[in-house]
Amino acid sequence: MEHDDLITRRQALAQVALLLGGAISAPTLTGALDAATRHAWAAAPGWAPRTLSDSQLELVAVMAEHIVPQTDTPGARAAGVHRFVDALLSDHYPSPERDRFLAGLADVDARARSRYGKTLVECTADQQVALLTELDEAAYPAVQVDSPRPPETWFFRRMKELTLVGYYTSQVGATEELHPSPFGAYRGDIPYSSVGRAWS
Amino acid sequence: MITYDAIVVGSGITGGWAAKELTEKGLRTLMIERGRDVVHRKDYITEHKPSWELPLRDARLSVGTKGAEDYPIQARTGQFRESNKHFFIKDSKNPYVEDKPFTWIQGDQVGGKSLIWGRQVYRWSDLDFEANLRDGHGVDWPIRYADIAPWYSYVERFIGVSGEKLGLAQLPDGEFQPPMEMNAGEKLVKTGVERAFPGRHVTIGRVAILTQPLNGRQPCHYCGPCERGCSTGSYFSTQASTLPAARATQRLTVLPNSIVHSLIYDAGKNRVTGVRVVDAVTKQFREYHARVVFLCASTLATTRLLLNSTSPRFPHGLANSSGVLGHYLMDHHFQAGAGGSIEGLLDHYYQGNRPNGIYIPRFRNVGDDASRRSDYVRGFGYQGGASRQGWGRGGGERGFGVELKRTLHDPGQWSMGMTGFGECLPREDNYVELSDQKDEFGIPLLKIHCTWGDNELAMRKDMAASAAEMLEAAGCKNVRTHDAYRGSGQLGAEPGFAIHEMGTARMGRDPKTSVLNGYNQAHDVPNLFVTDGACMASSSCVNPSITYMALTARACDHAVEELKRGNL
Repeated sequence: MEHDDLITRRQALAQVALLLGGAISAPTLTGALDAATRHAWAAAPGWAPRTLSDSQLELVAVMAEHIVPQTDTPGARAAGVHRFVDALLSDHYPSPERDRFLAGLADVDARARSRYGKTLVECTADQQVALLTELDEAAYPAVQVDSPRPPETWFFRRMKELTLVGYYTSQVGATEELHPSPFGAYRGDIPYSSVGRAWS
Repeated sequence: MITYDAIVVGSGITGGWAAKELTEKGLRTLMIERGRDVVHRKDYITEHKPSWELPLRDARLSVGTKGAEDYPIQARTGQFRESNKHFFIKDSKNPYVEDKPFTWIQGDQVGGKSLIWGRQVYRWSDLDFEANLRDGHGVDWPIRYADIAPWYSYVERFIGVSGEKLGLAQLPDGEFQPPMEMNAGEKLVKTGVERAFPGRHVTIGRVAILTQPLNGRQPCHYCGPCERGCSTGSYFSTQASTLPAARATQRLTVLPNSIVHSLIYDAGKNRVTGVRVVDAVTKQFREYHARVVFLCASTLATTRLLLNSTSPRFPHGLANSSGVLGHYLMDHHFQAGAGGSIEGLLDHYYQGNRPNGIYIPRFRNVGDDASRRSDYVRGFGYQGGASRQGWGRGGGERGFGVELKRTLHDPGQWSMGMTGFGECLPREDNYVELSDQKDEFGIPLLKIHCTWGDNELAMRKDMAASAAEMLEAAGCKNVRTHDAYRGSGQLGAEPGFAIHEMGTARMGRDPKTSVLNGYNQAHDVPNLFVTDGACMASSSCVNPSITYMALTARACDHAVEELKRGNL
């Protein structure tokens, strides 16, 4: 019932905005309405991972934050990318793909142990970056070759893709780092300098 | 016994139109829908929901993923997502049998696929209506463009179509609202293509989306994902357009959750007298009666219903004295085209999620010697668009961290892509039949036999090559062709995938070789009309829905006149 009410109110507001002819933006609307939802996703009290262990969750959060770090806007950890990854693994991935991803996490820690004698999370930031740089270079060879990519490169590509999806579709990524295209008119050709950042 | 003046089976694009026309002409009409009710606005449960409120961030639910378990067919399409899966049929409860892959995408609700359709609307021309006669494939259409042109206008004025007039014989202009705008990349390609290839045109898609208010519906606000439902009624759907009109007459009864099992035929009168309906919830049978019946259940559902309506007079399906019922199944073949990048234009951008792309009208085999192909008959059009790359490009390139985040703050380079939509020839060996298996309601499952023929496969080569040629001529870089077809029997651009399935109860002049006459009226049974895609005798290459709408409105007009004359 609450769910229905929320939808109805949002749609009512959207209609009003349209009737007024204003190009009110989606984040303005949702910001006014969905504080509860936002908090629920970002840091719900009692939230717990359903597929990842606590240490796997932290490993994902650490890697994600290296991929999209905090700058003048929040990074992947603040955007809850690790929670999104747990949701995907729990509710979307077929079991073989989920297991492959978990094996990829284990492989990262195995590399960290053999190199530095500790898990990636326990490594210094410089050590973490050095390891992730290796994985990145292996996953995206400078020279394209026709032979199939080595299987271990699957994980880092996937981790990077999930981080980008999780970040740029989060409220932080979609409305603070980038911005959603406002509802209203369509303008087919505007100067990029007039908006200054990509639409999310 | 419950009796109406008219029964309409189905509530999608054509069912809604039939209900509107018949009720407005004074008939008490029962519209029967297999699926659940969907109430305009209230049941658009994901409309305007921001990405972060969708737990999977609107993931595409592909085959094999969790969430798609009950939808192994629907999940083949890229359109099937977390945000709209509730508007697709549950395959696990509605199975069919594929001889070779045929992807049957279906709605299962009041409004049918009108809630999730592609909204592209193009008139047929006499190039299309005369095609069968000229090259001998299929039977001649019993109508010509002049018969349907006023009905196209009638429909366009009611549903609202935005687009650009071009004055082309092969793609007649309609009653258009102002067109949507092209973006800078598309304008560049348009200029290049039209300079290099006189006679070819790049235009904005003609689309059943408002750019001006119409009948209380608001113009598009460019939120993007139409298929979640539109509370402002900006695109044509049953809920936004035809259903309110039909309801306003107070002569409409809508019956959701009701599966029509078969039609009731009275051999003495040679009339259908009603329908047998199974309640989807209680599984109890009921009968409803009427003076005239319109089948608008969607191409294959309509034909399945006719095949399942047997009697001593029609042992192989109602109105099937010709034996062609179920045959001459068609779809458009697509996903063959090209893409490339556009250099420069980096200070050009766009605002708003335009639910529309560009269109390149057919330019092959259009009647003159210059356009004639020796390797195939008929033709194709292109749909496509240009855009700047978004943040997703970061997943395909080396690099992470502050530098990656800074790069993705700006949009990437421009790219342009297009895919052809090609005409499919009507062939007898593309057909559907009833299988030995039955669904939970005791209705035999449909078994579908359909493959592409040599003509389609030859055309696809040109669809890819000509797209690349035009992009190169327009100055695009890194131009690559694509063709998703993987061979007969494989998934990949398989028949059905364009969701333009049509034919199987075709119109024609001769009752011996066709099911319906020039008014979509069964040759064999005068008070039975079929006005969905099943009626089509050929496929053209343009998106078919507006032609179904125009044929429906025209058939309703004829049916009511015939009722008044006492002929039905």
